[in-house]
Amino acid sequence: MSQLLPYLFLGLLLSAVLAWWVWDAIVHRRAAEVLAPRQHRSSVRSIGLQRDLGERIFGPEDWDFVSSETTWEIHRMFQHERTVLAIAWLRRTRLQVSQVMRAHLAVAQHSEDLKLATEMRLAMSYLLFLVLCNSLIGWVWLYGPVRTRKIIGQTLQWAAQLRGAFEQLMARVDPASCRVVGANLNHETVRS
Amino acid sequence: MFNQILWWIGNAIEALILARSIKGKLYEKYPAFYFYLSTVLLIELLRFAAYTFQPSLHRLLYWYTEYLVAIIGYGVILEIYKHALKSSHGAGRIARIFLLGLLATVMLKVTANALANPVWSPATTLAELERDLRVVQALLLLVIVALLAYYRVPVGRNLKGIAFGYGLYVCASVMSLAFGSLPAFALRPEWRYVQRIAYLAALFIWGSALWSYQPIPHPEIESEIERNYKILAGHTRRVLSRALSFLKMGGEL
Repeated sequence: MSQLLPYLFLGLLLSAVLAWWVWDAIVHRRAAEVLAPRQHRSSVRSIGLQRDLGERIFGPEDWDFVSSETTWEIHRMFQHERTVLAIAWLRRTRLQVSQVMRAHLAVAQHSEDLKLATEMRLAMSYLLFLVLCNSLIGWVWLYGPVRTRKIIGQTLQWAAQLRGAFEQLMARVDPASCRVVGANLNHETVRS
Repeated sequence: MFNQILWWIGNAIEALILARSIKGKLYEKYPAFYFYLSTVLLIELLRFAAYTFQPSLHRLLYWYTEYLVAIIGYGVILEIYKHALKSSHGAGRIARIFLLGLLATVMLKVTANALANPVWSPATTLAELERDLRVVQALLLLVIVALLAYYRVPVGRNLKGIAFGYGLYVCASVMSLAFGSLPAFALRPEWRYVQRIAYLAALFIWGSALWSYQPIPHPEIESEIERNYKILAGHTRRVLSRALSFLKMGGEL
């Protein structure tokens, strides 16, 4: 029975891709015309402008003020409103990036010198962005922006500790290759 | 009885689609597809004749003509590829890379199988051989449809119907033939119904999509600078990395 699995998987994958294709065509029937490349440029600008807004929404300043100066009810009201605002901001960012990606794809499909590697990298970045954005929306919806900030901050701290422990372990096991690993990790950190 | 009803309905729709193609001269636009459909109809009638007048020949004829239909089906896929990616040079280029990679993989697998087993035969059973032919078709369609969906390549109603109907049929064939190649299922005819029903569904799709000719829309690109892939990819990469950095900023708050 297990020899059937690859065929079933292939069949399901093909039907999923066909369904996606048809669904996408139905949803975007009215917007079937190619997205104007102007939209690409305007989205680039508006994403830049949104950064300040995002910093303000997620920033600790407002929460520090509210938590120290106001009552518990105001805390709750603030958290509720900040959650709505944070989710709206994340959704708007996701929409704008999606528009840029759509405009890119609409133009790229005609490009003579289209590069497979570049396209794969862009697709992976976009996928990563969508996963991160949707996860953040879920986290903010469940815990609110303040707790999400703390949880993610803690997770990043644990990741850094784990990396430190791994480096120490590697230094004991294999000092020669540790230098290479360390250099690579540092390089990644600098790049990110 | 159920099988007979499906058979007659299928033949009637095939004849209707072919008649419409003559009226609307659609066969000139999609010759491979209409050749495929005509062949299927002729083969069905031939099988019926064999079943009525020479029942002993029917089983053998059935399987050999199944391969013939599967092989002609590759022409339909080639036609979908040719028409859909004609004006999309970039997407067409990626499709060619994937399709050549797929072809190389299949050839390597066939060669490796032949070397591993000197008395290797193409397939242990007739159902397995057809299944393998359909698997390659499914992979080819998967690449083409995924690219069409990803790049939102505008394809006309006719071509969309051909690709969707054929994809649905191939998909059902791969799964039902996989079950059919199992010894427990080989003697039971029910699994063949899945393929027949899927084919009937495909015929309905083709009938509605190919009722009249609809040309493939060609989008216009605004200016020359937007054709510059390097600039465009650079812009998109910057936007994505900036957006990702926002989220990372969100994570570090």
